[in-house]
Order: sequence, then C-alpha cells, then structure tokens
Amino acid sequence: MDVIESILLVDDENLFHLVFEDACSLLDITLNLMSIDNADAAEKHFESLVKQNKTKPDCIFVDLNIIGSSFDGIELCRRINFVHGDGVVIGIISSSNDEKEQAKAVKAGAQFWIIKSDEIEPRLEEFVKDFEGYKERTAPFKVYR
Amino acid sequence: MITLNNEIEKQLIKLAAEKNIFLEGNISKLIVSQSSTDFSSYIQDCISRDKENRRKRLEITKTIQQQNKELTEWKAHNEKLNKDLKLALEASEKAKQTVENDLDVLQKRIQYELVGSIVKVALWVICGVGVITSILFAATLIFGIENKTVESSWSNMFSILLTNSFSIVGTIMGVKYASDKKGRGRKCECDY
Repeated sequence: MDVIESILLVDDENLFHLVFEDACSLLDITLNLMSIDNADAAEKHFESLVKQNKTKPDCIFVDLNIIGSSFDGIELCRRINFVHGDGVVIGIISSSNDEKEQAKAVKAGAQFWIIKSDEIEPRLEEFVKDFEGYKERTAPFKVYR
Repeated sequence: MITLNNEIEKQLIKLAAEKNIFLEGNISKLIVSQSSTDFSSYIQDCISRDKENRRKRLEITKTIQQQNKELTEWKAHNEKLNKDLKLALEASEKAKQTVENDLDVLQKRIQYELVGSIVKVALWVICGVGVITSILFAATLIFGIENKTVESSWSNMFSILLTNSFSIVGTIMGVKYASDKKGRGRKCECDY
C-alpha cells in the first residue's frame, strides 16, 4: 500500500508534475498528490489549510527556482517550517547540486534534497525508504543523487 | 477502500470483455473485491494496464522534458551567439571608422609631404637660377663685357622668378587652406 498519505509538489515546470505523478503512481508512493506551480500559491494554500484546521500534506517537495514566484523554494521551506507549519516533511527537488544552496536549505528546515534527472524513480524509491525517519525527525539531511 | 456490489462487478467485467474498457487511474487501487475471484483478477488487470500506460506516458513525458531542456539551452546559446555577433559587428564598424580616419590622415600627410618637396625643389630652382644669373651679370660687370643682353635678361629673370615664386607660394597656401577647410568640414560631419 501507499507509503505517504498525501504529497504536495511545488514546481513551475508542468511537465515535471506529470513525471512526478506517474512516478508516484508506478512506485505506489501516494494516491493523494497535489501539484502547484507557484510558491506564492503554495504558501497561500498551506496557510489556508492551517487556518481551516484541515489535514496538511504529509510531505512537501519544493523546486529550488520557482519561476514566476516572488520567492524561491528555500524561502518557501523556511516559511512553511517556521511560520505556518509544524512537523511537515519538507525538502527540495531540483536539478541543481549546489552545496551552498543545500546548506541554505538545511537552515530553512529542509530535510532532504532530491536531484532531478531522467531517472527520478530510483531516487524516489530510496526516499520512500527513509520517509519514516524524516517523519519522526530522526533521519539526517540527505541528498539523493 | 471501496467495495462494489456483485451486479456492478459483473457489468465492469462484461464491459472489459466486450469493449476492452477498463477502470483507469488510482481509483482502481482503492477497489476491493467482495468475493468474486474474477473481479479480483479484473482489478489486478486494471492496475497493471494503468501502470503500463503510466510507464509509457512517463517515458514520453521524460523525452518531451529532455527536448524542452535542449530547446531552452539552444535558445540561450543562440541568444548568446546573436549578442556576440552584434558586439563583433559594432567592433568591426568602429575598426572600419578608425581605419578610414587613419587613411584620411595618411593621405593628408602624404599630400603635405609632397607639397613640401615641391616647395623645396621650387625654392632651390628659383635660388639657383637667381644666383647663376646674378653671377653671370656680375662677371660681365667686372670684366667689362658687353652686358646689355645679360642685364635685361637678369632683370627679366628676377621679375619672372619673383612673380613665379609668389605665384607658387600663393598656390601652395591656397591648396593648404582648401585642404584644411575640407578636413574641418569632414570632421564636422563625423561629429554630427
């Protein structure tokens, strides 16, 4: 059965939404996936969930550079972690492997960093194995290469 | 989990058998069979077909994503090339302008040098003719030789040389003035 109850993906690239959705379905990661292409909209969505006391997503995947947004993925991580959220598993999914950005992400509360590539499925599989650790806040920050 | 009644299960199995239409998407993962083993295998069939379709779509999406990425890179590369080309064109225009100016300056210098040489030669000829005629006239005076012809020639010669020298100097000054005016005019054109 599916490992993660619900996932929120924030990425400006709509094609990646399809890739992620299909990969999640093939790997039986989740049945409840929501994709948003804008950091501002994602923050508003999360804010409204908190205000209305609705169920928050179990895990949030955020792109590093979200084109068309007023702030980047790391800032979204920071806001979700330190302004609106508590205990949500959140991390970055990006094609970049910049160590400085990764350090910033850690400070913003990101728990993982998945590098986007043609072969996203093996990385997601590996991530799913570590998910419980992220949920319990026992797993250290990890980069999935 | 969702359970369906036997009648719906049968209808779904019939639809699949007759028209090859199956349940698609994640909903099929949520349906469980109550008792029928046929419906269980039908659901498994739906899930595997859905996975196969998703696998195909994933491959296609990845290819399109890769192509999009390449196109974006090509676009950026082309824009950079266009920018470089524009800069090179501007540089060559500037170089052309500089060469044209240098050529103009060189032409003027050559012209001045030529005028200078003409003036020098003309002065030497004038002075030479003047000196020779004067020596000849002086000799006729010293030695008491008949000098009417030389006298008139000497005075004629001097008046002619004097006139001609002024004429040459005047011409040279005129040429110089005209060149300067032309040069200034061209410079003004460049400035505006």
